[in-house]
Amino acid sequence: MPAQRDSALSAPAVSAAFQRWTIVVALVAIWLVVPWFISRTVVDMLVFTGLYTIAGLGVAFLLGQCGIVSLAQSVFYGIGAYSTAYCALQLGWPATAGVALGAGLSAAIAVLVGWPVLRLSGYFLALATLALAIIGHVLFLEWDWLTGGTLGIGGIPPIALSGFELNSPVRFYYFLWPIVALVVWMHYNLLNSRTGFAMRAMRDAPAAALVLGIDTHALKVKMFVLSAVLGSVAGSLFAHYVSFISVDSFGVDRAINFLLIAVLGGAKTIAGPILGALFITVTPHALSRLGDIHALLFAACLILVVIFLPGGFGGALRDLVRRLGRRRRR
Amino acid sequence: MSGTLLLQSSLVGLTNGFVYALIGLGIAVVFRGTRIINAMQGEFSLVGGLFAFLVLERLGLPMFVAFPLGVLVGAGLGFVIERVFVRPARRRGASEESYLLLTLGLAFAISAAVLYFFGRDSIALAGIGGEGSVVFFDAALRVHAIWLIVISCAVMVLLKLFYARTLIGQSIVAASLDEAGAATVGINVPLMHSLTFLLGGLVGGLAGVLVSPMIAVHYEMGLLLTLKGFAAAILGGLANPFGAIVGGITIGLIESLAVLTVSSGYKDVIAMAILIVIMILMPHGMLGYGRRKGG
Repeated sequence: MPAQRDSALSAPAVSAAFQRWTIVVALVAIWLVVPWFISRTVVDMLVFTGLYTIAGLGVAFLLGQCGIVSLAQSVFYGIGAYSTAYCALQLGWPATAGVALGAGLSAAIAVLVGWPVLRLSGYFLALATLALAIIGHVLFLEWDWLTGGTLGIGGIPPIALSGFELNSPVRFYYFLWPIVALVVWMHYNLLNSRTGFAMRAMRDAPAAALVLGIDTHALKVKMFVLSAVLGSVAGSLFAHYVSFISVDSFGVDRAINFLLIAVLGGAKTIAGPILGALFITVTPHALSRLGDIHALLFAACLILVVIFLPGGFGGALRDLVRRLGRRRRR
Repeated sequence: MSGTLLLQSSLVGLTNGFVYALIGLGIAVVFRGTRIINAMQGEFSLVGGLFAFLVLERLGLPMFVAFPLGVLVGAGLGFVIERVFVRPARRRGASEESYLLLTLGLAFAISAAVLYFFGRDSIALAGIGGEGSVVFFDAALRVHAIWLIVISCAVMVLLKLFYARTLIGQSIVAASLDEAGAATVGINVPLMHSLTFLLGGLVGGLAGVLVSPMIAVHYEMGLLLTLKGFAAAILGGLANPFGAIVGGITIGLIESLAVLTVSSGYKDVIAMAILIVIMILMPHGMLGYGRRKGG
């Protein structure tokens, strides 16, 4: 019987697909059930984990696939937050318009700034993005007619989905994580597309990539724009979630945190930034009794991961899974 | 705009310029010896300045003991950092990005440690010659600033002589240009890398004790100092020690003119914008020659 032969031939494929669907179903079940068992504070932390994952994925993709160290993500995070605040409070537009405006503005700025700056590479590019983060922070502070400066902007309304307001951590959690999953899925597809291969060629052998006809500079600018849009969207959602934003949220330390998410989590794995974002969110809370010590711990982790664990948490986890799998097969 | 005001702000710019030049010199020293851009150069200054303050105020020792001790602590820190952090990274074949992330991580760690142990307050340090100042045409220049300028120039000349005339200086350059070749002629390459960081820390610590009386010691001061010093070094050309001085003065003067004509709030924006523009348009700096290494 043809059908039987078919299934017999593709048994490994079927089992792989089955395995993948089991994982998806399990993740969805966890997503649905988790808020019932944890306190409001923990749900709040999971919301921040989601927000940081979106922004951190942008940084991780630049670092892991294009070899670009970007410390400018805080600028785009800020642009997203201020755009949506301005739209909601001054113009009275809905949240989608604010998110779109922030994303568009960030993309435009990323093209204008990225086109010249991405001609640089290595140390010079990284320090240029750090300089951008400082410029952004000072401008957010100085343009207080727009941003409110250190006093900030309050009363940003929560996102409303046809009348249903996302005004509690649990509601926002259910809204946010599907977006995170969508962004992760899109990144996964991008990674395995023609563009993804072009990026990896550019990272590992720039000269060969050029010979193959890849416009490496344009590709870098495109990825920088993508990263900026993700940062901006995360910033807009952040503004709607916390309803109060001030310039303190968009300083150089925030840019450093986004880079930490990418490096600690592992820039080359897709799941890495989620782990990195979780670490960045949970640690300060767990150590809050000890004052500002988490900053010291983050820096120490950064140093140790750079020296001893180049793949980050995600890379270490992947290696562990592979090693276990090999042992089982034997 | 009155002439006195212009002269006064130029003097401020000149003094700041020499501060950036000293940081830039340190970055150039480390780059020359190891091909690493040290993103924690400003932190050497933070530690040096803070240590000098502790010796001066907490132990009550005189300035001529406290300042050299601050410089030596900077040098010791540089040596330890090379041995403990940079060397293991090098052994594991670190890339340019890893070194940058490593030195950035060290910068954050030191800044966070200072925040944790000393708090957010700024610490003011007494200068050489106290608060005394010299007056030129109604514009005042602190005695300490004159010392800063003289010492910076002396450091530059000494560094130039060190690299050109001494065996160790030439060995350091040889070790960074061609590791295998240097090892073949009997140069201890790892030791030269350690000495490079020691020298970088020494220049950084010196900058720290000289800067601290001008700008208060603060846990966040390191990163901005590093970037402005880096701008100075790049503007002058990383390969040329004289370049950092020229670059530093240029940036200091532009900054103080910006304060005078635009607003003091935009000072850092202008310095950072200059940094980016120089890197893109003048990759070899004003006095640089040859191809820039490292990007």
